[in-house]
Amino acid sequence: MSAAAGLERPQVVSHVQQALSYTVFDCKWVPRSARLLCLGSAARGTGLVQLYELHGARLELLREIEKPKPIKCGTFGATSLQQRYLATGDFDGNLNIWNLEAPEIPVYSVKGHKEIINSIDGVGGLGIGEGAPEIVTGSRDGTVKVWDPRQNDTPVANMEPVQGESKRDCWTVAFGNAYNQEERVVCAGYDNGDIKLFDLKTMSLRWETNIKNGVCSVEFDRKDINMNKLVATSLEGKFHVFDMRTQHPTKGFASVSEKAQKSTIWQVRHLPQNRDIFMTSGGSGSLHLWKYEYPAQRSKKDSEGSEMGVAGSISLLQNVTLSTQPISSLDWSPDKKGLCVCGAFDQTVRVLIVTKLNKI
Amino acid sequence: MGDESVPYLLGEGTTKTYQIPISHLDYKFIEKCTDVKHLEKILRVLRSGEEGCYPELTLACEKRIECLDPRSRALRKEKPAATASDFTAEEWEAINSELMGWLTEMNEDDKKSQLLRTDTLNERQDNLPPIRCSSSCLPTSQNKKLQNKQRSKKNIPRDYSEWDKFDVEKECSKIDEDGEESNSKARFSSRTSLPMIEKKIDTTGMTKREKIFIATREKEKGNEAFATGDYLEAVTYYTRSISVIPTAAVYNNKALAEIKLQDWDNALQDCEKVLDMEPGNIKALMRRATVHSHLQNYQAAIEDLNNVLSVEPENSRAKKSLLEIEEKLKGLKPISEPQGKGKKILIEEIEDAESGEGKGEDTEECERHGGDTTPAAPAAARAAAGEPAMGNAHRKSHGKGKAHDRDAHKHRDCAESGAEKGAPEKKAEKHLSDHEGEVNGYLRSDEKSESAEAEIKSRGEGSRSAAGDSSTSLPPTAAKLKSEGNELFKSGQFGEAVLKYSEAIEYVTGLGEQNPDDLSILYSNRAACYLKEGNCSDCIQDCNRALELQPFSLKPLLRRAMANESMERYRQAYIDYKTVLQIDSSIQAANDSANRITKTLIDQDGPSWREKLPPIPVVPVAAQIHRWDGGALTSEKPSTIDISREEQLQMNREEAMEKFKRLKNEGNDLVKMGEYEEAANKYSECMKLNPEEYTVYTNRALCYLKLYKYEEAKRDCDHVLQIEDSNIKAFYRRALAYKGLQNYQASVDDFNKVLLIDPNVLEAQKELEEVTQLLHLDSSAGDGSQQMQGKKITIQEVTEPDGQEERHVAAEEAVPKQVPRRSPEKLRVSAPSNAYDFGQIVNAVNATKDKAACADLLTITEPKRLPVLLSNKLEGEILLVFIQSLEHYVAGKDPGLAYQHLFYLSKAERFKVVVALLSKNEKEEVQQLFDLLSESQSDQYSLEDLESLRKVYEL
Repeated sequence: MSAAAGLERPQVVSHVQQALSYTVFDCKWVPRSARLLCLGSAARGTGLVQLYELHGARLELLREIEKPKPIKCGTFGATSLQQRYLATGDFDGNLNIWNLEAPEIPVYSVKGHKEIINSIDGVGGLGIGEGAPEIVTGSRDGTVKVWDPRQNDTPVANMEPVQGESKRDCWTVAFGNAYNQEERVVCAGYDNGDIKLFDLKTMSLRWETNIKNGVCSVEFDRKDINMNKLVATSLEGKFHVFDMRTQHPTKGFASVSEKAQKSTIWQVRHLPQNRDIFMTSGGSGSLHLWKYEYPAQRSKKDSEGSEMGVAGSISLLQNVTLSTQPISSLDWSPDKKGLCVCGAFDQTVRVLIVTKLNKI
Repeated sequence: MGDESVPYLLGEGTTKTYQIPISHLDYKFIEKCTDVKHLEKILRVLRSGEEGCYPELTLACEKRIECLDPRSRALRKEKPAATASDFTAEEWEAINSELMGWLTEMNEDDKKSQLLRTDTLNERQDNLPPIRCSSSCLPTSQNKKLQNKQRSKKNIPRDYSEWDKFDVEKECSKIDEDGEESNSKARFSSRTSLPMIEKKIDTTGMTKREKIFIATREKEKGNEAFATGDYLEAVTYYTRSISVIPTAAVYNNKALAEIKLQDWDNALQDCEKVLDMEPGNIKALMRRATVHSHLQNYQAAIEDLNNVLSVEPENSRAKKSLLEIEEKLKGLKPISEPQGKGKKILIEEIEDAESGEGKGEDTEECERHGGDTTPAAPAAARAAAGEPAMGNAHRKSHGKGKAHDRDAHKHRDCAESGAEKGAPEKKAEKHLSDHEGEVNGYLRSDEKSESAEAEIKSRGEGSRSAAGDSSTSLPPTAAKLKSEGNELFKSGQFGEAVLKYSEAIEYVTGLGEQNPDDLSILYSNRAACYLKEGNCSDCIQDCNRALELQPFSLKPLLRRAMANESMERYRQAYIDYKTVLQIDSSIQAANDSANRITKTLIDQDGPSWREKLPPIPVVPVAAQIHRWDGGALTSEKPSTIDISREEQLQMNREEAMEKFKRLKNEGNDLVKMGEYEEAANKYSECMKLNPEEYTVYTNRALCYLKLYKYEEAKRDCDHVLQIEDSNIKAFYRRALAYKGLQNYQASVDDFNKVLLIDPNVLEAQKELEEVTQLLHLDSSAGDGSQQMQGKKITIQEVTEPDGQEERHVAAEEAVPKQVPRRSPEKLRVSAPSNAYDFGQIVNAVNATKDKAACADLLTITEPKRLPVLLSNKLEGEILLVFIQSLEHYVAGKDPGLAYQHLFYLSKAERFKVVVALLSKNEKEEVQQLFDLLSESQSDQYSLEDLESLRKVYEL
C-alpha cells in the first residue's frame, strides 16, 4: 500500500482504553449523550451495569448497578429519545427494562425465556422505525419472542420450533423493514447456521437459509427502511451480505460472502450514518471496517422471468488488531459519526474513533 | 543478495504445504508470475517461515500481488490501531478537537434536556400504534413441517468440538463457489407489495434536537437511496426530512433526485426553494439550469449558468453545459426566428456571454444607446449581469423574433409595449415555469421563483401563511382559500386564483379582525395575478390596498412599479422602484428598471425630467432593512409613518443589537464545530445588522478561508482593513486568501505586514517562507501565460487549460460582480443618472480608494457619458483611481470597455490639464494599462486606435 493511499483511508484510533474488573458482554452508547454502558458479569456471578461518561481522553464512571444475574445484552432501540430506558436480557432469561436514573426496580420485567437471552434488539424507539416500540429477544431455549413494553407478561409474537423438533440455540436477533406502521421483520440466527426471517405483518416465515456455520450476529443495514441489506457473521470467520431488496421465488436473496479473519466474527454493526459501511469484530481481537458496493444493476430477470437480486461486492476499508482476546461487542455512537465503543474478553472496553468516514 | 541465491540454489523439491517447487521462491519467478492464487500460496509459504526466513523476498512477493490484485486477501495484515504518529499534527488536532467539540455540545445538551423533561411523553405514547394483537401465536409452525423435510437433506451442523479441527483457510477458499449454492436452499414465501412509506413524520412533542436528529437521519437515508439509484425512495426520504425541518440542502438533494426521475416541475420548485433560502446557491443554480434546459427554457438556463460562472468562474461543468445549451439554442433559433439576421446575432451573443461574465450591466447600457450599431449582446449581457427576470418577457419576444434590442425598443416604441401586454398569455401556454418567474423576477433573477411560493417564503418569518403551517394568523377558511389560490397561481390559472384570493379577502374583511399583514399579502397576491393577466389597473389598485395595510412592503411596491411601467406611467413606476431601492438596495431588477425608466423619462421630458416627478416617499429606517430581516419589518403594526418612525427606529436598533450578538455567538460556535459554511451565513446576517463591527468580517474571512472561498475572504479582510488599517488578523487572513488565489506577491506583502505588526507570529513566518517559494516557482512558470490574459477566457479555458496566471485573472473577474451583492453595506454602486450622482460616487470611491467599487461604477457607466458625468470635476486622483481600476478589474476581462473609457475620458473637461500634471509614477500606471490593452485583443479597437490614444495621454 502506498503511503498516500493509506492516508486517505479511514483510520481506527483507539481513543480510550478502560480496564474493567468483570467480563463485559455488551456495550452501548446512550443515545443523545457522550455516555456509554457496559453490561456484563462480575466475578461472583452477579450482573453489572456500568455507566461511563466520555471526558476528553478518559472514561469517568458515573454509576454502577449490580443485579442478581449476569447481563448478556442490552438495547435502547424501543425507548424514546427522551426516556432512554435500557432493555436488557440476562443469563436467566429475564427481560428487564431499566430507567437508568432510578435503576432499583425495573420499569418492565418479564421472565421471557427458560434459558439465557443471547441477543436483544429494539425498534420503534429513538425515532428509528415506524410503528409500535417492540423488543425482540433470542434465547438458548430456541425461541425468539417479540415484546411490547406496554403489554406485561406475554410476548406479542413467539417464534419457536414445533413440538418434537430439536431446539437450536438462537444466538442473534435483529429487527428490520420497519418503514411503515405495518411492516416489520425479525431476523434470527442460530447455532447451526440457520438464518430465519420472520415477517411480523403476515406472521409467517418469510425466508430461511443456512450458512453452514453458527450465526453469531445478524444486522440489517437500517431497521427503518424497506429492507435493503442484511449482514450475517459466522463462527468460522466468514460473513455474508444479503441484498434484501429482491427475493427470488426459489433462490431467495442474492448474497456475497467475505472472510474477515481466521476466527469467529462476533459482531457486525453498521455505521448509523451510512448504511453501506459496517464493522465486524473478531475472535482474534481485530476489527474490520468494510464497505459494500452495489452492482450496476441490483436485480435481473432469470430464465423464467422472475426477478432475482444481484449481489454487490465488499471491500475492506481498514483493519486493526486491538487485543489478543475476542471483541464480543461493538456499538457505533448514533450521534457522532465515527465514534465507536467495543468490549473485549480481555476485560477492557475501548472507545475508538474512525476517521475520514465522510470521504468514502 | 543472500536471500536471493539461497532458495535458488536449493532449487529442487517442493514446499511442504502447497507442494510448490522450491524454485518458485525466487525474485525472477515472482516477477513474472501472473497467477495471483499461486503467488498467494508462495506468500503464505514465505510468511510461515517453513522454508526459511526471507523478509525481502516476502516483501517483493507482496508487492507483486498488490500490483496484480490490490484487494487480495493475502495482503491483509494485522495492524495495531492508529495513533497520533499516524497522522499529521493538524489532523490529530482536528480529530481531537472535533471530538471535544462534540462532547461539550453533548454535555450542554444534557443539562438542557434535564430541564426540559417534558410532559409530552404520555401524549406521544398515545400516538403510538396499538399493541400487536397476535396473542403470541406461533408464526413458524406451519412452515416448520416443510422445514423438517428439508432439514434431513441439509448438511448436519458441526459439533462444537469439531470447530477446533476446523481449517479456516480451506473453508475460506471455497467462499466464492458456495455463496450461490447456500442460497439455493433458501426458501421463498410471499412477497409484499410496493413499499408504502409515510411522506410525513409525526413530530408532536419532539424537542428541537430530536427533530434535527430525525431530519438528518431521513436525509441520510435519502442520500443512501440516491447512491443506489432508488431515486423515488430518495425523494420520499427527502420529503420526510423536509416535513420535519426544511433545509436548503435537502431541497437541493431532492431536486437532484427529481432531475434523475425527470420530474422537472418538482425539481424546479425545489431548486427555487433552495434559492429562496440561499440565494446564489451554486448547486441549485446548476440544477435549475439543467431543469430549464430540459424544459427547453434555454435562456433561463443560460442565465442560471452565467450566475454560477459569475461566482465560480472556474466551474467547468457550468461552462460545458452552457456551451451545450447554446448549441441547442443555435439549432433551435433559425426555426423560431424567421429573420435571417437571427443566426448571426446569436453567435455574437455566445461569444459575449463567455467573455463578459459579470460585466453585463455595462454592455446592456451600451446596448441601449448604441443599440443600432451593436446588436450583439443584450441577452448575454443581461444573463451575465444576473438578469432580472423582468427582462424575461422581453427575452421571450426576442426568442420569437420580435426584437432583440428589447429594452430600448420597449420604451421608445409604444406599439411594442402594446404587444408586450398581450404577451403573457401566449407565453403561459408555452413555458409555465418561465412565466411564473417573470412576474416574480423583481427579486433578483437568481431568486426567481414561483410567485406564490416566494411570497410566502419571504414573508414567512413574520407571518407564516397557507403553505406554511400552524403559525398563520389567518382564519382557517381564508388560509385554505389562499393556499388554493397559490396553487392555482402556480399552475398558471390566474383567473381562478384571483377568484380564490378575492374570496379570501372578502372573508377576512368580513370578519373585521385586524390582521393587516395577511390581508396585505392577499392583496399583494391578487395583484400578482392581475399583473399576469395584464390587468394593470386592478393590479395597481390591489397594490395600493396592500401598501395601505403594510406600508413599504416590497412585493406590492414592485408589482405596482411593474404595472405602472407597462401602463407607461413611467413617473409613478420610477418612484416605486426608487422606494423599493431605499428599502433594499440589492434588488437588481429594481435597479435596472429604475435606470431604464430614467432613460425613457429623459427622452420624454428632457433634462428637467426630475422636476416633473412627484416626490419620492422617504422610507423609514426601520423599513430599510434587507429582505432577510423581513420578519421584523412585517411584524410591526403599520401605523402612520411619521409618528411611529422614531419608535420603530429605536426598537429596530435594540432588536438588531440583540440579534447581532446572538448571531455572532452562533457563528462562533459553528466555527468551533467546523461548520464553516453555516458560520459564514450567520456572520453575514450579523453584518446586515451591524456593518461596522469588523470582528465579524475577520471571522467570516476565516470561514471563507476554510471553505476555500478566497475571493470572499479577501474581500472581507479588505473591508476590515479599510476600517482598521492595522488589524493583524485581517492581514494574516488576507495573506492566506491571496495565497489561495495564487497571488503570491500580494500574499508575501501581507505576511510582511503581519510580521511588521507582530514579529512573533510563527505561523506567519512559516507561511511567508512557503509563499515566497511558491512565488519564485510561479514567476518562473507564469511568464508564458501572461499574454493570454485579455483574451476571451472561457472558451479557451475549456479547450486549452492555461497557466495559473490566467486562472487567477478569471477568479478576479468575479470581484466587481460580487461586490454589490455580497456586501451591500459596502460601497453600493448604482448607475448614476446625472453628474451629481456620479460625482458623489466618485468621491466616495476616491476617499476609500476602493478600486473594485470604482470598477463597478465604470462597468455600469456608459463610456460615452463619461464627459457629461464628470463635467468639470476631473482631477488627477480621480483619473488615477479610474486608471487603476480599469487596469485591475476591467481591462482583463473586457479590454474593449477599458478602451472606450479611456477614449471618452480623454474627451472630458480638464483632461488635458490633469494629464499634464501627472507625476512620473502615475504616468507609468497609465502606461501599464495601455500595455495591457495592446496585449489584449478586442474588436472594439485596433492597435492604431490605441497608439493615437496613447498620444492623447501624452505617453
